[in-house]
Amino acid sequence: MTALDLTRDERTVRRTSGPVLGMVLFVASEAMFFATFFGAYFTIYSVNPVWPPAGFPRLEPGLAAILTAVLVTSSVTLQLGVRAIRRDRTRTLLRWLGLTILLGVCFLGLQLYDYSQLGFGVRDGIFGSLFYVMTGLHMAHVFGGVVFLVLVLVQGLGGQLSDASHDSLEAGAIYWHFVDVVWICLFTTFYLAGLS
Amino acid sequence: MVAPRVARVGLAGLAGALLAGCAKQGATVQGQQIHDLYVLIIILAAPVFLGVEGALLWCVLRYRRRRGSDDGPVPQGAGGPRSLGVFFAIPTVIVAFFFLYGERTLADVQRREPNPAVELRIDSFQWQWTFYYLNEGFFVTGRTLTKEPVIALPVGAPVHVRLEARDVVHEFYVPEFLFMRNALPGRPNEFSFTPTRIGTFRGQCAEFCGLHHDQMRFVLKVVSQADYAAWVEQTRKAAQHVDCDPSGPLRLVSKDNSWNTGCLAVVASGPFVVSVSNLDAGIEHNFAVYDKPQRKRTYFQSPRFVGVAEQTFQLRPLPKGRYYFECDVHGPAMSGTLIVK
Amino acid sequence: MAITEPRTTGRAPEPQPHWLIQWLTTTDHKRIGILYLLNSFAFFFVAGVFALLMRSELAEPGRQLVTTNGYNQLFTLHGTLMIFLFIMPVLFGFGNYLVPLQIGALDMAFPRINALSFWLLPVGGLTILSGLLAKGGAAAAGWTSYAPVSEQGGAGQDLWIVGLVVVGTASILSAINFIVTILRLRAPGMTMTRLPVFVWSMLATSLLALLATPVLTAGLIMLFADRRLGAYFFNPAHGGDVLLWQHVFWFFGHPEVYMLILGAWGIVSEILPVFSGRPLFGYPGVILAFVLITALSFSVWAHHMFVTGQVEFPFFSATTELISIPTGVLFFNWLATLWRGRLRFEPPMLFALGFIALFLVGGVDGIWMASPAMDFAIHDTYWVVAHIHYVLFGGTVFGIMAASYYWFPKITGRLLSRKLGYWHFWLMFLGFNLTFFPMHELGLRGMPRRVADYLPDLGWSFLNQVATAGSFVIAVSLVVFLVNVALTLRRPRTAAADPWEGNTLEWATSSPPPVHNFDRLPEVRSNRPVWDLRQRRPAEEQA
Repeated sequence: MTALDLTRDERTVRRTSGPVLGMVLFVASEAMFFATFFGAYFTIYSVNPVWPPAGFPRLEPGLAAILTAVLVTSSVTLQLGVRAIRRDRTRTLLRWLGLTILLGVCFLGLQLYDYSQLGFGVRDGIFGSLFYVMTGLHMAHVFGGVVFLVLVLVQGLGGQLSDASHDSLEAGAIYWHFVDVVWICLFTTFYLAGLS
Repeated sequence: MVAPRVARVGLAGLAGALLAGCAKQGATVQGQQIHDLYVLIIILAAPVFLGVEGALLWCVLRYRRRRGSDDGPVPQGAGGPRSLGVFFAIPTVIVAFFFLYGERTLADVQRREPNPAVELRIDSFQWQWTFYYLNEGFFVTGRTLTKEPVIALPVGAPVHVRLEARDVVHEFYVPEFLFMRNALPGRPNEFSFTPTRIGTFRGQCAEFCGLHHDQMRFVLKVVSQADYAAWVEQTRKAAQHVDCDPSGPLRLVSKDNSWNTGCLAVVASGPFVVSVSNLDAGIEHNFAVYDKPQRKRTYFQSPRFVGVAEQTFQLRPLPKGRYYFECDVHGPAMSGTLIVK
Repeated sequence: MAITEPRTTGRAPEPQPHWLIQWLTTTDHKRIGILYLLNSFAFFFVAGVFALLMRSELAEPGRQLVTTNGYNQLFTLHGTLMIFLFIMPVLFGFGNYLVPLQIGALDMAFPRINALSFWLLPVGGLTILSGLLAKGGAAAAGWTSYAPVSEQGGAGQDLWIVGLVVVGTASILSAINFIVTILRLRAPGMTMTRLPVFVWSMLATSLLALLATPVLTAGLIMLFADRRLGAYFFNPAHGGDVLLWQHVFWFFGHPEVYMLILGAWGIVSEILPVFSGRPLFGYPGVILAFVLITALSFSVWAHHMFVTGQVEFPFFSATTELISIPTGVLFFNWLATLWRGRLRFEPPMLFALGFIALFLVGGVDGIWMASPAMDFAIHDTYWVVAHIHYVLFGGTVFGIMAASYYWFPKITGRLLSRKLGYWHFWLMFLGFNLTFFPMHELGLRGMPRRVADYLPDLGWSFLNQVATAGSFVIAVSLVVFLVNVALTLRRPRTAAADPWEGNTLEWATSSPPPVHNFDRLPEVRSNRPVWDLRQRRPAEEQA
């Protein structure tokens, strides 16, 4: 028996694949990344007697609620796609995946529109700094997620996904759901919590 | 292999001697408490240190492989839960005792003096200090790279300090007081101390604060009550005796965050011009005129401008009298008296 | 590209691409490990030269060699490069080479990401160094880069930020690779409780890197936003908080220092048993200590901030003192390993013993700083400089030297000269103590950190001269090491598979191993599979 055979044996014993475990770990690191910004937000909140600081509007939840709905829906559509490929239904997967990507792009476009309506920028005090840096980094992550899902879509169109082999999709789904959760936290903090 | 032992014994001995002998006593009440804690830590740490280094030395000597005399297999025991328990227990006991004593000293050091004899507001900036004597009503300031402030305090009397920073994080540090505290922009710090020894003590900024961090020094003299009263009188009078004559155009030059002069004089005839040359590359200065250092009334305030640059300002006529001018960015370190005659 | 097919005898080797192309495109963990080691030692020497310049300047009061701005850049680059481009990556480098071997795997779980993680390092490191060419020079705010001072300064500081983000990304990717490899690719029979201690230490290091490095990345982005995007995270005049930087930085920074030591603890825990002829005493206790320290390391960060006067003193001094308990357990286990052993003083063992002696000093002098009131007297002085160098140099670097001598034969097929190894050890031990022990006293006498100069009448001059002399002795010892390496590499590859009578699986294959690592894996029934093998088949394995 060669070492290669041995390691292959070992791998079949485990149920979670390497790439999926790797993505879980990556998401853990991203969670720490965003947690730092939320920590910064609450630290700054605690040293400012007036919040939001003078000159900033209370953020209206309206458009943001639509953004939330778009992203949550995209998580649902993506998970439906995952279920489809686990039953080897590639065409169904491709439809749900395509819809997810569309919703993701929608989110990005709507967010940019929201930015244009807000009336304050990064330079307008600490609230502006926090809002734009945190939501901006989140947008970058959504963009990265869209790119990843497009690559998975290309894999699927090339016939490389099946019920036995679709690690990239599973990994991508974990990442996408995480990005969704981060948005919900941002939405709650900036739009809902009565803090803003 | 003789050498490992020599080196390790030497190291241990050196450690003991130096650490025990060289701690300062602490020239304040709080400093003395900290010194006592220092000694306690030596008492706790020395046996641990000497014990472990000693055991290491002993193993190196006793268990080295001797050539030609391999007496059978080496014992392969690797311990169990009991040894693990002992290994955890020993440091736990030491730590518990250490923590409690340390908390007590901390409470003593942090205690705020309810009736201080002297109240200081210490302002720090790149790269000097300004000491405001709040009850006596004057300030003593250093000038970056040019002048180290010398302040006096009475022995045996409690001092309360409010410590602030204008630009970056600095640190008030007097080694012989065994004490330091950060000055944080936006977060003033307060602490008290009572000097116990007459003498001259050097102080220095201990938090890296940019280019001239190593030059941000001051001198603190602890003197008798009588000498302190005399110094207060003298300092107050000196501030009132600044004088100069109106002679030609008013010109201020800033280099290394210091003005070239502490006195400007002009005749009270009409509007006048002040030219300000900022030779500090990349650093902002401005020129402002107030009634007094307390800045209750503003007579003129120029915009801030970055060096290297020169700007000229026209001021409206001012009545005869003495005014306080400063660069708002650097405060009293860049200040002086404007006399309208 | 990854070579996934084991080479079988009887087939002619295929024509290989040029050796440079091979090394640039390799995804073999062994070659990547060697690249890590080469890159790390290169930065070690650069940062070491910076240290020699600093020590030369400080030997006498008054300005002799460098401008103040120059000095500030030197200590910033010295700290940054030593920590992020030498110590972290050299431990990952040994890990890269050894972990798959020690667990009986073919390669790391993600070989191409492994290559990417490596190549990001010279890119990040050179970005930081390129600040020397920027207007105003390189970053000069210290490796801790406190705001608001780090918000001043020119492009050099921005290059420092970008370089560190790149290096941090490399760490996170590496960490993921190690964790998946260790959890998924172990040989049959190698349960977690039979894992070599060095592998446990790399697992712990990787967990810390995974969870703490992103915090630094976030902080660096905030700093960059303040500097170049008009944000106010650390600006109190517009609602920001100066202290926020310190909290973010040290929340990363304290786990970081454990990332810098755990690998060395693992190395020493491998070497002591081999050269004592005994098993590691209290293996479960050692692993427990690693786990406790890893977890606790997230709870102590504000002990770096006692002097701000604005943190919860009792909590942080309690957690800081608590973390010394599992550290003490480690020392007891190491001593008990030596006890009743048969000690062989080969160079790896000398450095491992030196590690224990010196890391103890660093651990003990840290006790003074764990108590806030005491810390008020010695923080931000040369006492801290002594402490960090005793743990990082006396500790980790001695551990790295031990690892170098221990695994050199496995990696290159040649044994380093024992005689030169002795010279290296004694010169380094002497030079190190001459340089850093006096700094305890300098701290007590009031010399602050990060000062380009000091006054002649303060009584600091003599000790500074001693320290400078010591630093050049260290330099000589490293020249001896380089000579040893250069001479040894010219000799033929004659090292046996198991020249030290080791315990772990890397010694069950040739020196150096074949591309596919193992022709035959021994059975794993304990945490000392090769020792077991030697007991079962002594004649065959001691050939």
